[in-house]
Amino acid sequence: MNAVAMIMLSIGAAGFMFRLLRGPSLPDRVVGLDGLLSIVVIGIIVAAARSNSGAITIETVLVAVFVGFVGTTALSRFIERRGN
Amino acid sequence: MYAFAEVLLVAGSALAMIGGIGAYRFPDLFSRMHAAAKAPTLALILVAIGAAIEIGTLLAATTLVLVVVLQLLSSPVGAHALSRASRRQMSIPLDDIDQLSRDEDRDENTAR
Repeated sequence: MNAVAMIMLSIGAAGFMFRLLRGPSLPDRVVGLDGLLSIVVIGIIVAAARSNSGAITIETVLVAVFVGFVGTTALSRFIERRGN
Repeated sequence: MYAFAEVLLVAGSALAMIGGIGAYRFPDLFSRMHAAAKAPTLALILVAIGAAIEIGTLLAATTLVLVVVLQLLSSPVGAHALSRASRRQMSIPLDDIDQLSRDEDRDENTAR
């Protein structure tokens, strides 16, 4: 079941990665980057749920969520000032 | 109980996959933002509940609650800032329905 979840997350990450690389405008790339970081967060949580040895600490997820928010907000301020 | 956690983890992953497919296939920016902002948030909530059941410690549960609250606070703010910025930069609306400039014209006319 772990493989099923990870394969689904990989397909979603491929969609966001396409939008990050091939987005027609800069806001499309920001959408791709934000979604890709959400996929990374969900993947870390799924991997941490399966590793019962505690090898993956769940506190890294907090940092990833905060970095995603700061990145999206900063890039949208940048777009608002500069344009596409 | 662990089967329930498995179902939640797989359902959350499926929802994240649907968000990615939507960001890949939708035709314009705001549709893509609609798919990319909302589906991963619900996916994160489902996966966090499943992981909290599966791990089973109080520390992991409180950390996951904190993650979910932070995502619920930050995701609408980020999506709003991005859509506002890109709408300001856009000269021609994507479809012919342009209610923002209609409302701005009406506000200017009533103010004077």
